[in-house]
Amino acid sequence: MNDVTPQLIEAAGITVELRRAGQGAPLLVIHGEFGVPGWLEAFARLAEHHDVIVPSLPGYGQSTRPDWIMSVHDLAAWVTWFARDLDLQRPVNVIGSSLGGWVAAEIATVAPQFFNKLVLVGAMGLKPEKGEIFDYFLDSGLAGLRRAFHRPDQSAAFMRYWGRKWAPELADVVEQHREMTCRIAWKPYMHSLTLRHLLPGVRTPTLVVWGGNDAITPLNSGEIYARAIPGASLATIADCGHMPEMEKPTDFVERVRDFLQA
Amino acid sequence: MTRKFFFFSEMGYNAYPDDILERYGFTALLLPNSLFDREKASQLWRMFLREHEYASEMGFDGSVCNEHHNNILSMQESVNISAAVVSQHVKGTIALIGNPLPIHDNPVRVAEEIAMLDLISGGRIISGFVRGTGIEQLSTNANPAYNRERFEEAFALIKKTWTQPGPFRWEGKHYHLRVVNPWQLPLQKPHPPIWAAGILSPETIRWAAKERITYLVLGSALDATAQCREIYHEVARQDGWMPASEHLGYLIHTCVLDTDEEAFEMGRHHYGGASVIGRSGGVAASALTAGTGSAGVTGGPHPEWMAPPGYMSKQAKTGAMARERRASEGSYEEAVRAGLIVTGSPKTIIQKFKHIIDRTDPGYLTFWAREGKKPHQATMRGIELLGKEVIPALREHQSALVTGKEVTPWPQ
Repeated sequence: MNDVTPQLIEAAGITVELRRAGQGAPLLVIHGEFGVPGWLEAFARLAEHHDVIVPSLPGYGQSTRPDWIMSVHDLAAWVTWFARDLDLQRPVNVIGSSLGGWVAAEIATVAPQFFNKLVLVGAMGLKPEKGEIFDYFLDSGLAGLRRAFHRPDQSAAFMRYWGRKWAPELADVVEQHREMTCRIAWKPYMHSLTLRHLLPGVRTPTLVVWGGNDAITPLNSGEIYARAIPGASLATIADCGHMPEMEKPTDFVERVRDFLQA
Repeated sequence: MTRKFFFFSEMGYNAYPDDILERYGFTALLLPNSLFDREKASQLWRMFLREHEYASEMGFDGSVCNEHHNNILSMQESVNISAAVVSQHVKGTIALIGNPLPIHDNPVRVAEEIAMLDLISGGRIISGFVRGTGIEQLSTNANPAYNRERFEEAFALIKKTWTQPGPFRWEGKHYHLRVVNPWQLPLQKPHPPIWAAGILSPETIRWAAKERITYLVLGSALDATAQCREIYHEVARQDGWMPASEHLGYLIHTCVLDTDEEAFEMGRHHYGGASVIGRSGGVAASALTAGTGSAGVTGGPHPEWMAPPGYMSKQAKTGAMARERRASEGSYEEAVRAGLIVTGSPKTIIQKFKHIIDRTDPGYLTFWAREGKKPHQATMRGIELLGKEVIPALREHQSALVTGKEVTPWPQ
């Protein structure tokens, strides 16, 4: 798998770490609380038919952290600015994973003209009716990562990025991401009290993708998303944890492609 | 200023089962409170208050209170309530190690309560402020990533409350108050002496020096404490002023009994006690290790609780003082050798404390003289010996840092 070297660009008021490759219509990926560990297999496959754009959000990776970003709402507003600065042809297709799914959902509620189609993957943002969102902050970075995979030791992505003994630099990045997530999603933890009420107003065709064994965000949250957004459908991926794009890239890309081409 | 000698006890819950760590792996935050025995706790309160009272009778200059949450380490969930009660049992100063400012959403309430305390106690209050431990951020849901910002803003607001006439409006980053105009102000003018306390966080030491307030070193080894003093003095030198003794406080685990052997054995309560396994030792040490991020970080008693994201800087986790602290916490013997716990007969301990004073010159020397399951009788005897023999001998002793004389040797 070819890696894509991240570029540092000036956009939306900060320095942004950006990975971008592929041909076709733009596909913006909004990453989750673990940041972008590299050019994932799923990105490479999607890049066969799309211009895949993967920025590291402010405070993640090498993107600088402005102090004013203190909520997911702030982050959502920032993403729309970033897309304008990149001159993306809009409306744009978007994948939002976990925390990034919450960001994407926030944008969809206030700027429907921004998105063409939306894929929410194990998205944060809603308080489940059954179960609770796993609290990363009561355990270590590694414990959270392992829990985000159904079978971490059998996942090529997990083993590649986090499976070996951590160098101090990697530990620092994991801690940096935990801190940034803490800054924006501490309380209420990983959810909004308003988002759910705004979802029925979304007009963007939406696919909700969930790992069948997600031990971070209960599947129930996916059901609520699919129920609340008009016309949305829910696809679960078997034998898969919180991050289908990493744990089951083939299944994931298939679902996404079908949805984007339909 | 004449050096002050204070008594301190975390007033920790000690009726826990001896194998608590083996059974649960931790002694705080998620430790089920079904283990809490209400009757026993009520008895403990009476015992703790008697110990404070006795320290006052034996000649201590004051008592020190503190606050922790969700932790067997301390039964003081409100330092202001503790101080209010203790002030009615002791004659001297009541020093508050700390109101953990970041956990409060209205710092003016803290300013009001301290004003009340100062008025009720007749101006006997020292008001310490702390950031709170990592556990407190989790148990009170105060965002650890903004801990330092909140601490500094709350401090500025409280200080303004005490030094500038109200009413005024406060529109900050974390605090927003329409009207700041508390009716009661402290008796001491413009406000009680202020401490900032910490466990070797270089940022807090520098900040305290910038604010010219006392930095209180909490139960740390001697070398590290001497380094704290150095950092403080360095910042002061850069700012063009010379700190006095009263700019440093030192809280130190102390176990004195009639013989060295008895004191050494009894001192184990200070190591194996709740404070070590619940806060300042085992857990913190693992947290610091975890900060360096080896893949095995989930081992140990939930180290993340002591250092939730953003709470501790990398420097504080991995700096020289943190390394020293870890090294001194490996065993009881190590902790005694490093001066983290000071034990001995009055004769021995007087010499040890002369050495400590010679190297750090604290204006406030606070003996952490009750801990864990140490029996009441042994605690009372320790208080008696400190009050009758140790403190009088130390009152006369001038620090070598002031006199330029040789440092008293550590007894062999």
